[in-house]
Amino acid sequence: MEAAVRVDRLEKTLGPNKVLRGISLEARSGEIFGLLGPNGAGKTTTLRVICTLLGPDAGSVDVLGFDTRTQPEEVRRRVGVVTAEIGVYPRLSARENIAYFAELSGILDGEVSRRVDTVIERLDMGSFAKQRAESLSSGQKQKVAIARAIVHDPPVLMFDEPTSNLDVLASREIRDFMVESKGRGKCVIFSTHVLHDAERLCDRVTIIHEGRVVAGGPTAEVRGRYQDLEDAFLSLVEAAR
Amino acid sequence: MKAGAIVFRKEMREILRDRRTLIAIGLAALATPLVLFVISQVSTRTVAQAYTVGYTGTMPAGLDVLFNATGLNLKLVDDPAEAAKQQVDIGIVFSDKGLDEYYDPTRQIADIRLQAILSKYDAAKVAASLQAKGVDPSVLNPLPVSVHPLSSPAQAAGNSFLSFFLPYILITMSLTGGLSAALDTSAGERERKTLESLLLTPAPRGNVLIGKILAVSVISLVAAIAAITSMLIALSQISFGVSQGEPAHIGLSPLAAGVMIWLAVLLAASFASLTIALGTLARNFRQGQAYATPLYFITIFPASIVLFIPDFNPSLAYYLIPILNAVLVLRDVIVHGTVAWTALAVTTLSLVVTGAVCFYAALRLFTREALLVRS
Repeated sequence: MEAAVRVDRLEKTLGPNKVLRGISLEARSGEIFGLLGPNGAGKTTTLRVICTLLGPDAGSVDVLGFDTRTQPEEVRRRVGVVTAEIGVYPRLSARENIAYFAELSGILDGEVSRRVDTVIERLDMGSFAKQRAESLSSGQKQKVAIARAIVHDPPVLMFDEPTSNLDVLASREIRDFMVESKGRGKCVIFSTHVLHDAERLCDRVTIIHEGRVVAGGPTAEVRGRYQDLEDAFLSLVEAAR
Repeated sequence: MKAGAIVFRKEMREILRDRRTLIAIGLAALATPLVLFVISQVSTRTVAQAYTVGYTGTMPAGLDVLFNATGLNLKLVDDPAEAAKQQVDIGIVFSDKGLDEYYDPTRQIADIRLQAILSKYDAAKVAASLQAKGVDPSVLNPLPVSVHPLSSPAQAAGNSFLSFFLPYILITMSLTGGLSAALDTSAGERERKTLESLLLTPAPRGNVLIGKILAVSVISLVAAIAAITSMLIALSQISFGVSQGEPAHIGLSPLAAGVMIWLAVLLAASFASLTIALGTLARNFRQGQAYATPLYFITIFPASIVLFIPDFNPSLAYYLIPILNAVLVLRDVIVHGTVAWTALAVTTLSLVVTGAVCFYAALRLFTREALLVRS
């Protein structure tokens, strides 16, 4: 299957720290791709380069054939990002928050309302869509964050530690949503250090440590002879030190 | 530019739902008439106030009549120099040699009145002596002067008052009226963790920034015009002396109003860019406020300059200095009733360039990677 996201020998330095040291990976449409690693491994920086928030120092990234360096706006049209930071505009309603991002994503004026209604229904947000965001719970805010990331129906979805601030129920809904998106043919990139989630959800994983890939491939293959992915992960990270 | 319009609409909606900004604008509009009322009361009472002159010695005949007619009450004291420190406003010792005056230089009104009385008294005595000797007293005034003021003293005082307060309010409100909104849309965006999502949209960042600057400019403009309108309404109700038999009120000519609005637009756009740039530099709203604090001093100084040098006649180069140029142009149009178009053109150029530089700085800050990494 053709890669939706291709990262090739990516390097990135932030301040005095060389964060990425030649990361290469490929994520495909219709799969959940796990980007695993301990805190500070470079997962968030990799995702930020893929979605064009940061530029690569060396190497290249392309998303559905568009180079992040030369066609960043085309890349951003095709990517939706959900992070653990569920910042929303407090004085706008949930619906207004989503509509704002729909408009900025270039959805035609006549289409905005229909698209917003669609995501509100899909994420079961009808009961609080008209409430101001400042009065929403964390789980409801996370739904707003997901809705704004998918309202333009991007073929690539990236989840960066999306459940780290959520309770069990809200985390479950996020996981279900990722599986549903995969079923719709989306390329889902899931960055996490919760290996239990990764093992259950991901078709393929790449483990990075200190800015380098230490293992990659189908989840079962990376787990290999170990009892679970956590054991494999610890072993691989230890070996890379 | 569609993205700019989308951002502008959203920012306006958020600002209009933000009590902080609305309360700040409302309070400024309400506070201005109150401050003016107090100022007018104080100035009216100062003009009508009677002062006490403590004296010893024998007062020349007829001088007491002049004292009483000028609102200076006479009081006999033992030691005029000591009494002038607290007990009375001026101390005088009449002696054979003349008159010794003791006064506090920081309180000049009583002294000015005293000098006027003494001048009149001297002139009357000299004229009487000359007449007694058969000499025409007009020899003392070989070049008679006929004074023709171009406006009544009341109108001149009103214009002078307006030429200080109007630029002051215009500049301070253009800065502070939109400050909260500017920091909210820049530092607040980072603090609320919405910045990353915003930058992830395909909207060009320059357009996003333009939308934000436009929204803040509109609020600054509304704040400045609301405060000035309330000031003008208050002034129309307060009498500043009498002109041609009628109570004199201060008003703004249509020309001055037009110039003021034009300058308000330029100032609002420049301040919006500047405060958003500072807010973008800050990690949170509070830090943004700390960064913006020096702006108060930087802007209030030129706004106050007219008070200290009212007759300052600047060369064209002075109109290149942002803020000061707006103050000078407004002063000219209020006091003289005409616009020096060259000065206005230079001022416009200067403020447009200032706004452009601030916008460029804001854009550079808004598009750098450190914006995200630092957060």
